[in-house]
Amino acid sequence: MSPSLFSVTIFFVVLRESLEACLIVAVLLGLVEQILHKDPAVLSDHSGTVPYVHTAPLDPESTPTTVSPRVLRKLRLQVIFGAFVGLTIALAIGAVFIALWFTQAKNLWTKSEQLWEGIFELIASLMIFVMGVTMLKIENARTKWRIKLRNAFDGHQRDRGAKTSKWVLFFLPMVTVLREGLEAAIFVGGVAIAEPATSIPIAAIVGLICGIVCGIVVYQFASRTAFKLFLICMTNFILLIGAGLFSRAVWAFQENSFIKFVGASSDDTAGTGPGSYDVRGNVWHLDCCNAYNGSWSLFNAIFGWQNSATLGSVLSYVFYWLAIIVVLVYYKFREGRTKLFGLESANGMRRRQRREAQEASGKTAESASEKDLRGDTAVSESDSPAGS
Amino acid sequence: MLASLFSLLSLAALSRAGVQEQWWNITYVQNVNPDGLFPRRVIGVNNTWPPPPLDVNTTDSLVLHVTNSLDVPTTVHHHGMFFNSTSWMDGAVFVSQCGIPPGDTWEYVVPINNSGQHGTYWAHGHYPGQYTDGLRTPLVLHPASGEAYVYDEEFTVNLGDWYHTEQPVLMKSYINVDNPMGNEPTPDSGLVYFSQNGAYLPPIPGSSPASTTSAVGFNENSTLNFVPGKTYRLRIVNMSAFGAFAFWIDGHNMTIIEVDGTDTQQAPADMLYIAVAQRYSVLVQARNDTSSNWAIHANLDTSMFPTVNPNLQPNITSSITYTPTDNITDSGPVDSYEMTNDTALVPLVVVPQYNATANVQFLVVFQTMDDGTSRAMLDGYVYNSPLVPAIVSVLTLGENATSQEAYGPLAVMLNHLDVVDIVVNNSDTGAHPFHLHGHTFQIVNRAIDYTSSDPTLNPPLIEGQPNPVRRDTVIIPAGAAVTLRVVADNPGAWIFHCHIEWHLEDGLAVHFIEAPLQAQERAATQVAPPPYLFSQCTALGSPDSGNAAGHASVSDLAGLPLGPFPIVFGFQTRGILAITGCILTAVIGMITVVWYALGVRGSEEEIEQEVMKRIEASRNRGLFQRT
Repeated sequence: MSPSLFSVTIFFVVLRESLEACLIVAVLLGLVEQILHKDPAVLSDHSGTVPYVHTAPLDPESTPTTVSPRVLRKLRLQVIFGAFVGLTIALAIGAVFIALWFTQAKNLWTKSEQLWEGIFELIASLMIFVMGVTMLKIENARTKWRIKLRNAFDGHQRDRGAKTSKWVLFFLPMVTVLREGLEAAIFVGGVAIAEPATSIPIAAIVGLICGIVCGIVVYQFASRTAFKLFLICMTNFILLIGAGLFSRAVWAFQENSFIKFVGASSDDTAGTGPGSYDVRGNVWHLDCCNAYNGSWSLFNAIFGWQNSATLGSVLSYVFYWLAIIVVLVYYKFREGRTKLFGLESANGMRRRQRREAQEASGKTAESASEKDLRGDTAVSESDSPAGS
Repeated sequence: MLASLFSLLSLAALSRAGVQEQWWNITYVQNVNPDGLFPRRVIGVNNTWPPPPLDVNTTDSLVLHVTNSLDVPTTVHHHGMFFNSTSWMDGAVFVSQCGIPPGDTWEYVVPINNSGQHGTYWAHGHYPGQYTDGLRTPLVLHPASGEAYVYDEEFTVNLGDWYHTEQPVLMKSYINVDNPMGNEPTPDSGLVYFSQNGAYLPPIPGSSPASTTSAVGFNENSTLNFVPGKTYRLRIVNMSAFGAFAFWIDGHNMTIIEVDGTDTQQAPADMLYIAVAQRYSVLVQARNDTSSNWAIHANLDTSMFPTVNPNLQPNITSSITYTPTDNITDSGPVDSYEMTNDTALVPLVVVPQYNATANVQFLVVFQTMDDGTSRAMLDGYVYNSPLVPAIVSVLTLGENATSQEAYGPLAVMLNHLDVVDIVVNNSDTGAHPFHLHGHTFQIVNRAIDYTSSDPTLNPPLIEGQPNPVRRDTVIIPAGAAVTLRVVADNPGAWIFHCHIEWHLEDGLAVHFIEAPLQAQERAATQVAPPPYLFSQCTALGSPDSGNAAGHASVSDLAGLPLGPFPIVFGFQTRGILAITGCILTAVIGMITVVWYALGVRGSEEEIEQEVMKRIEASRNRGLFQRT
């Protein structure tokens, strides 16, 4: 499919955001069951220490069997309906926002100018960088959302009594989905400035459908390993695009300065072959296969391919990846999941101490109970009151 | 002042019978403004501009004493002269001499009295760009035996394009990375001016030309006075650096009688298309009615200019005056310019087609080279001037002088009295006027499209032509080819080049090394080169002997300027390394992603704790900010 009709980047942006929205809905659906259970851990203990739920929402072993299926279905429907309403509003606002963005803001520049293309590609590549390196944290986000939503839910219950809590299950998913949707719209708007407007709709819709389908599949049927694999693949793919965009941005800046330098009509620097590019700093040039040409344009959109690569475009591609590597290594280090040159981060130290404590207590009791774990938490928290 | 100088010169000529001597002090002249649009510094002679026209009877030889008062070297080339066996007099820099150093002199001996040549020629600087800046003048040779045609009076029509910026400045921006398509500088205007009997015609009385050149009429300030019923010969010389001219006269017919010094049978022509360095003579019959004066048109062919110069008014007019007070009838411009078919012209002196014994092929290619500049190539090479002028190599290499290799990549060795076919295929999108020094050639074949298999577009060479046209400068249109047949009867070194000055600087040239052993022998026994042929090289810091690079060797060309070279496309070592690096870092990056995602991921509780802590932290931070 032609890149002017389908933007791979936008597809991934929407896919990611809808996946996250699905995740929230799934967390809510899990909460519904817990609320019905009136799990004492949920409703009591709002003080000092944060409430903690051991049961993962989708852990089949912990799924309660005593709840009335009718009430459960009703509440579930409420959640889904709320999410749906939120999605509709988000879509409407997002569409209006992007339409305004394209029709009004886009008049500010001439799309064909390499300078603007470079700026937008740069913005898009940086957004993708942020999105890419945080994508893998979606798993953590599941926990994050569970806590956030439960806190919010508890807050509602505390403030307004039992009657309103019924509607909370409608409003919470609506508001969160709406927020995710608007976030997606801004991302799409940011990324899309580097792409033709016509490439948004199909990509966004396909991304949305894929996101929802993936969300359902992953949360209902697939294992966590499969989900992780899926996330890894998607992260790699979106980072490939980001690196390509970054390289294209640098290339566009250089092309812009070359066109300015040559000064003559833009015909001079169009096409391929001798005279169409700056020989200074050129790394390779193929007298064909340029970015405006058939399948090479897809290659350009996904990997940042140029038939005339410059020192800048090659180095920027390499440095984008190096930055990703550095950030991910640092993250893993900060999360305490790896050591760097024998050094441990604060989290790493905490984790190690906790594990050691766990092992120590494990010697006395073979299986770590809920109570033990909670005790560990208190210890580790008092160890580092400043937090992360 | 000019007049007194000329009387002085003619006195000098009288004092040495058989030799016309001219003294040229080549100088810069300030504030020259022939087109009335822009005063500029030019290169002139004896502090005047234009340089004095040369008018010589073939009983005399011409001796031009040149003193260089510029701050750069200079040379003078007498275009079309044979200089038989004395090619060091040819004036082509770094082919026939190193250049006259500033302050130095050179005596150009033009053996007109024994060259057998007559007709319309010109003389111009052959040091890069100097003729663009004004060092150019017509050279008319009158045969002692009388002209082939009878006419009442003759005029020389001098055409030339004109730049308002000095050539070295234009040159810097022309061969430059910021001009990858090689867009030549477009002229700022064109000039037409007339000369007769070695003097320029003055401007129309009452016109107010710019002061520095007030003795000469240019363009609309110039005119030719015709008398009804008389026949005139116009010798039209295009002295442009770049622009070809279409030339015609309203209300008058023209009949071609000469092409580049070769008298031809009469051929009627409505219009002449004259490329750079070409000359034609036409007979023009004056009208019988004197009711009007008539416009002379000299239009620069703008189709060959790559960029539009908004200031250029390409259509230049002058006039033919019957009655000074009458109006000028001007039929205005024409839709298109037709090429003058020179191959259809028949020389008066019949020379049947020679039988070729050798063949050289050249392909004209313009391209952006590996240094980012646009250059021209013949035979895959950009012509660079050698460090030693080719004729100096011929004279100093001894036995080794017969080795083609010694003269650099763009040199062709010709044996004495070879008859060589020079085939030039032009792959470029522009026409190129090629000029061969020291010879005239027979144009024995032309192809409209040299790549075609259609015999009407790419006809086979026909042998046995009774009398093909002979000239010294030929237009090779875009995509076309010519076959030029030349007798190698002039030992020495001769350059063959596109006469568009920008293209010569681009490297669109080759030098022919012709019968070097005969050249050595004749230099030893007949006419010896002047000692300053060698000493001026030394003075300019160039070697004065040896091969093209100044070494007494055939193959050692160390130090010879070469290149730039065509770009090699695809993945070279650098490209392969780069793309490998890109792929490698991308793969390592993706492995890092996998590595980050896998491994100990903390249990649900641990993650939850981290999240909690962050929520707490941000809540605290928020509170902190609020207070």
